[in-house]
Amino acid sequence: MNRYLLGRLWQSLVTLLLATIVVFLGVRALPGDPALALAGEDRDPESLRAIREQYGLDDSLIVQFWQFVSHALRGDLGVSIRTGESVVSMLKSALPVTMELSALAILVASVLGVGAGVVAAVRRGRPAEWAANALALLGLSVPNFWLGLMAILYLSVALGLFPASGFVPFFTDPIANLHHLVLPALILGTGLAAVIMRQTRSSMLDALSADYIRTAEAKGLPSSAVIGRHALRNSLIVVITIVGLQLGALISGAVVTERIFALPGFGKLTVDAVFQRDYPVIQAVVLVTATAYIMINLLVDLLYSVIDPRIRVRGEV
Amino acid sequence: MPRRTPSSLNRSSRLPRFRLGAGRTGSLRTAPVGAAVAVVVLALVGTACSSVEPAGEQPSGQSSADQDVFGEPADAAQVKDGGTLTVALSADPDKLDPSLSRSLYSRYVFHTMCEKLYDLGPDAKIVPQLATALPTISPDGLSLTIPLREGVKFADGGTLDSNAVKVSINRGLTITGSGRKSELGPITSIETPDAKTVVIKLSKPFAPLTAALADRAGMVLSPAAVSKLGDNFSTAPVCVGPFKFASRVAQNSIKVVKDPLYYDAAKVHLDAIEYRIITDSSIRSANLRSGDAQIADSLSTQDAPTLQKDASMTVLQSQSLGYQGLTINIGNANGVGNPKKQLDSPIAKDPRVRQALDLSIDRAALVKTIFNGLNTVACSPISPKSEFTSDAAQVCPAHDPAKAKELLGQAGVTTPYKVEMITSNNPDSLRLAQALQAMVKDGGFELVIKPVEYASLLDQQDRGDFELLQLGWSGRVDPDANTFNFVGSEGSQNVAGYSSPELDKLLTDARQSKDQAERVKLYGDVVTKLQQDDPLIYMYRQRNLTGVSKKVLGVQTYPDGVIRTAFAAYAK
Repeated sequence: MNRYLLGRLWQSLVTLLLATIVVFLGVRALPGDPALALAGEDRDPESLRAIREQYGLDDSLIVQFWQFVSHALRGDLGVSIRTGESVVSMLKSALPVTMELSALAILVASVLGVGAGVVAAVRRGRPAEWAANALALLGLSVPNFWLGLMAILYLSVALGLFPASGFVPFFTDPIANLHHLVLPALILGTGLAAVIMRQTRSSMLDALSADYIRTAEAKGLPSSAVIGRHALRNSLIVVITIVGLQLGALISGAVVTERIFALPGFGKLTVDAVFQRDYPVIQAVVLVTATAYIMINLLVDLLYSVIDPRIRVRGEV
Repeated sequence: MPRRTPSSLNRSSRLPRFRLGAGRTGSLRTAPVGAAVAVVVLALVGTACSSVEPAGEQPSGQSSADQDVFGEPADAAQVKDGGTLTVALSADPDKLDPSLSRSLYSRYVFHTMCEKLYDLGPDAKIVPQLATALPTISPDGLSLTIPLREGVKFADGGTLDSNAVKVSINRGLTITGSGRKSELGPITSIETPDAKTVVIKLSKPFAPLTAALADRAGMVLSPAAVSKLGDNFSTAPVCVGPFKFASRVAQNSIKVVKDPLYYDAAKVHLDAIEYRIITDSSIRSANLRSGDAQIADSLSTQDAPTLQKDASMTVLQSQSLGYQGLTINIGNANGVGNPKKQLDSPIAKDPRVRQALDLSIDRAALVKTIFNGLNTVACSPISPKSEFTSDAAQVCPAHDPAKAKELLGQAGVTTPYKVEMITSNNPDSLRLAQALQAMVKDGGFELVIKPVEYASLLDQQDRGDFELLQLGWSGRVDPDANTFNFVGSEGSQNVAGYSSPELDKLLTDARQSKDQAERVKLYGDVVTKLQQDDPLIYMYRQRNLTGVSKKVLGVQTYPDGVIRTAFAAYAK
């Protein structure tokens, strides 16, 4: 187990380094430069030169990369070219928002997705399955931004049920915090719910036709126990994998959702930084995202063994 | 991001199909899941039938394009003290440092916390703010004496005096990456004969300086904060203002709170103002209507008519001092800042081809169809609202596609003449580009649209990698700031690569003249010359549209586009 963990950690570090290099070069390959974006309307060659010099943008790529990596290793991710703020403090304030939003979205998606998936499998061929399938199709095919806009127009503007924008930190006012996040989490969770629903349904169908289910039924177990304790538990392995794999989609969904609801999260920070060619912020964001992605994949692998004791990572079977 | 067009609303007609399914799901044993599904779907379906106003309607009976609605100061008897005002801003301001800031949006925030030596009145005339009178200019035009207001405190408790003004202006002249240096012109020194008098010395007369001091260059920074924070002043800016900086969440919000030390604190009613960044105009409007924001800036001309019909909203309108236009690459083959080199194309070489393009554009139709008649036609860089306007500055060539074709024939160009235009890839710019494409066809042009993301557009512009470019300028009070840099041979933003000694002389004379009438005449001549050579085809002037909830009184906008919220208040 330890050797396996070490191996995975080593692979993760290499992946991280490669991701950093790709992003570092990719950002600089984009047309447009931060000096131009920063200079705004009042551009003149002299100011542009001064801005480039101030932020080291006129150094060679190797020097810039070394500066970034060596500072990053010391926990210094630089300052935003646009606002002059420390990137670390920007990330510190943005990360909790996105983490909370993602957690709530996963919760929404899991409840809706697993529930609808179980119903669809158990009630196969009946209207309940059609309804669940239709819901999944809706979730998959309606874009986030449209759903978000409609939710604001109808649930916030017309009915006044939820705030249309803004964020209150959890520790300042937990109720207001949740009130602000209900709509974004629902919108963000819809797409994922659809994926989870379809996956749960097909896994459940497989499980329900398995021998051990017939045995359980023959032993006279109530159907709730058969479905809940046996079929669903075995089906959840696939679902957890899907949640892990969909994390990327969740982050890209958060970009849109956060912009629509003006949430001060990671997604909004990322996309605005890209538009403004704010190199230090883009690099930091990618570094953190890549780290999170790699760690979550690792966690998913480890979770397998917790959910299903038959699975043991290499070296322990 | 789609606007609320009829076609996008039609998509919601899919929703009722799911009502049946959702209802039946609820009858299953798995009731909790079914119920959750039903709640979501029914909420969407049910509210789809609620009284949200249909969108995408054409305006009717709205105020005409020439009518500005600036808003009124609050009547003290009708307002109450307290409360936080939320302003939905369309873009994130950059550094909150008056010497370094370059974004238009930072001015919205600065106006509440960083007062200037001079300000602008609703008639676009300059009035004293931290100064007590307009500057006294010496007969040779090389010295400006500015008297300062007394008893004024910075938000950190320091006293405003002539030394603070000197520190602030010097910082604008010297700090690396300054956004103020070119605005301040040929300043040689700043003298402080006493605590309430500042004397600015110039090497050459520079008429636009007073107008510059009515903008960020005239903001006075606390010397104590400058020496403490240095280049990081933007992290905790301290100036004189009705409000003071409280906090900023990157890309998301900025909060200012009432400053009890402000010299006119009795006029300040609000406790705080929060600027919330919401980039999509439809969502800004939605926030205004839901009450999450009380003010929204830069309304889309598509959303404004709906808000104008809403009895709980006011839409403030002020015509911009800037312009939107088409820049033609004449001599910018090497990139801005490098020696000019003419492009080898008929439109770059022959003014008749550029005039033909100008004549092919039906500005009135453009403004009416694309912008719901809310923007105004423009044919010059001088706004009719400017005190430097004249008949000559407002001459506009009539739409004449037949003459355009004739000019193309005289220039020996075969029609249709193909030209490529780069434009920003946002929906409004694309709609404009498509309308132009259809319009100039009659004049013998085949316009090819190349949409580019904004940062790339700026890059291509500065590298000179374009034939035609659609972009605008937000505008400044003094016409020098709307012309010299853009069409002067040595202008830092002369991306057309245009060079005319005759025009240069007119521009230089205008910036050095102390005589208002003479400057008015000179800017009229500038426009005449520009319309002959057409390096930049001016098309229309934007209208700054600001949505304001009627729960708030005293919000005003002036021609500089800045939304004035400092003395606003909630109605009793």
